[in-house]
Amino acid sequence: MECSFALTGNGYVLVASDTTAARSIVKMKTDEDKTKVLGPHLVMTYSGEPGDTVQFAEFVERNLRLHQIRHHQALRPQSAASWIRRALADSLRSRSPYAVNLLVGGFDTSVAAIREETEAVGGEPKLYWIDYLGTMAEVPFAAHGYGSYFALSLLDRYHNPQASLDEGIATLRRCIDEVSKRLIVAPSNYKVRVVDKDGVREVEL
Amino acid sequence: MSIMEINGGSVIAMVGKECVAIACDLRLGNQALTIATNFEKIFPVTDRLYLGLPGLATDVATLRERFRFRVNMYTIKEEREITPETFARLVSSTLYEKRFGPYFVEPVIAGLSPVPSASGKPEKWEPFIAATDLIGCLNFAKDFVVAGTSSDKLFGVAEGLWEPDLEWEDLFETISQTLMNAVDRDAFSGWGGIVHIITPDKVITRTLKARMD
Amino acid sequence: MARRYDSRTTIFSPDGHLYQIEYAMEAISHAGTVLGVLAKDGVVLAAEKKVTGKLLDLSAASTGGFGGSGEKIFMLNTNVVAGVAGLTADANSLVNYARQAAQQHLFRYNEDIPVEQLAQRLCDLKQGYTQYGGLRPFGVSLLYAGWDPHYQFQLYHSDPSGNYSGWKATCIGANNGTAQSLLKQEYKDDITMEDAIGLVMRTMSKTMDSTTLGSEKLEFATLTIDPKTKTPLAKIYRPAEVDALLKKHDLAKKDEDTEMKAA
Repeated sequence: MECSFALTGNGYVLVASDTTAARSIVKMKTDEDKTKVLGPHLVMTYSGEPGDTVQFAEFVERNLRLHQIRHHQALRPQSAASWIRRALADSLRSRSPYAVNLLVGGFDTSVAAIREETEAVGGEPKLYWIDYLGTMAEVPFAAHGYGSYFALSLLDRYHNPQASLDEGIATLRRCIDEVSKRLIVAPSNYKVRVVDKDGVREVEL
Repeated sequence: MSIMEINGGSVIAMVGKECVAIACDLRLGNQALTIATNFEKIFPVTDRLYLGLPGLATDVATLRERFRFRVNMYTIKEEREITPETFARLVSSTLYEKRFGPYFVEPVIAGLSPVPSASGKPEKWEPFIAATDLIGCLNFAKDFVVAGTSSDKLFGVAEGLWEPDLEWEDLFETISQTLMNAVDRDAFSGWGGIVHIITPDKVITRTLKARMD
Repeated sequence: MARRYDSRTTIFSPDGHLYQIEYAMEAISHAGTVLGVLAKDGVVLAAEKKVTGKLLDLSAASTGGFGGSGEKIFMLNTNVVAGVAGLTADANSLVNYARQAAQQHLFRYNEDIPVEQLAQRLCDLKQGYTQYGGLRPFGVSLLYAGWDPHYQFQLYHSDPSGNYSGWKATCIGANNGTAQSLLKQEYKDDITMEDAIGLVMRTMSKTMDSTTLGSEKLEFATLTIDPKTKTPLAKIYRPAEVDALLKKHDLAKKDEDTEMKAA
């Protein structure tokens, strides 16, 4: 079953999403990328109703790109997340709502995010948990799907907002391993991305 | 599972002597799973007026933003701050607009209302609290109002602890004890709280540590 | 010759002019002066009020609202103040549009509107009246003083054609040529707020018709960063504060001509 995790660390956000595309009880594919790079410092995982997910993710991607072209600057993570949340909240009360759950990870490099404690890493990591209702919470770590029942309690114990990237990846591994060990319908592969002051890049586990 | 209980959360407001208090818990859940423990449900409207929005978290955010829009336009056009009485009507009519497809929130309003004086500048302030149901039916109370998943428990504790004309220090103690003891009996609320005491010359905001389970 | 091509806003003359737009700009160059200076730690705006008179009721301006008399300088959003030159009624309509646009942005993105985007929104509206027929263009130029996290302090100017541009120091309205050459001579990069206020006051006193300045003829505003909250702080000066500032810069009226001092 679909699982996505994300956590913040010292100057970065890690997001991970499983890569399984399933129809009922059948695995159709195990290399489906369910993350989307939305801007120079913004990345998102998406899961939920098949069909809605890709449609909505591309809708977000194109709209944020258009904003960037029009105004010569990308939206800051907080503003992009607020816009996405509103899109889902409006959709909820429309004739055909999107059923999509998101984790939005970003890195705010604007002057508003540079303070004494964030100066050394070039900005502030931001992570938002968003569900299909348009519920949004800014959190230090987050998860969607059945994996969340295992991962959140692990992250309560092991998450450290000041952890280095290697330590962060190790914590993420713990979550993935625990899900593999305990969840009957655990996914086999994950796509992991990190966003920091240098932008978004993929991480091999 | 009721829509009002998906995310959990509770708000309470109390009247004191020339002051009011409003408090909420910090939990945001998805049914029984806790997602965040930093989810504030009380928002400042003016320097002496606060709005609490327990209920469905998507509507909490949407309404907070809608009220901010309306109040900012009111303030910039009228060139004065909105009074609690006027704001309560705004809340009520905004909710009733969606009578047959409502926002799933039960707003609580707490503030100090200016008493007109000869000089034009208010010298005295009167406590104001109110609550509405999800379609905007106003309930003005003289003592306290409660809302959210632990409203029944809040009613019970508040009924026992509240007394009239409390000074702000005592009001803080009363509202804090009421909130903490009520949310401890509610699985959908808790994980810490935040209290705002509004007095004529300052607002005191304190976070409460509570049982984190 | 021009007669045939200036009755409608949307018709080019054979030599490539839109006469109505140019007339609107001409009207503005007779309006009360508005002056803006960008400093390293803030922005200063000053505006000359043309409509004065002994019987004008200014009591609301001295106590209520955001300060100022709401004639030339307006708060558009928490991070932007604007000075207007031109038709007051047109300006009011634009100010209302700008405030609405700023709140729409806050509603959509949960952040204050970037200053340039706000200027753009107004310019899109103004440009429409140079192209779609039947209506007259807005006879208003604006100076926007603002702050946002992308470009920090900024000063923009927009005119009735829908053009806008960013400035270190600029001036619109009557005598704007004189003021601009004065600003060009005296402006230094990295100017402080203190010096910028002085520069604005001196330039204002030289460009305005009257020999002495007073709060009944001048509006004044600053935009800085609140040292405590680190958020933009817009301040439109009250009449008494304007008079105090003028006195400080030794530009206030002499005692013998104080009969029109605000209450």
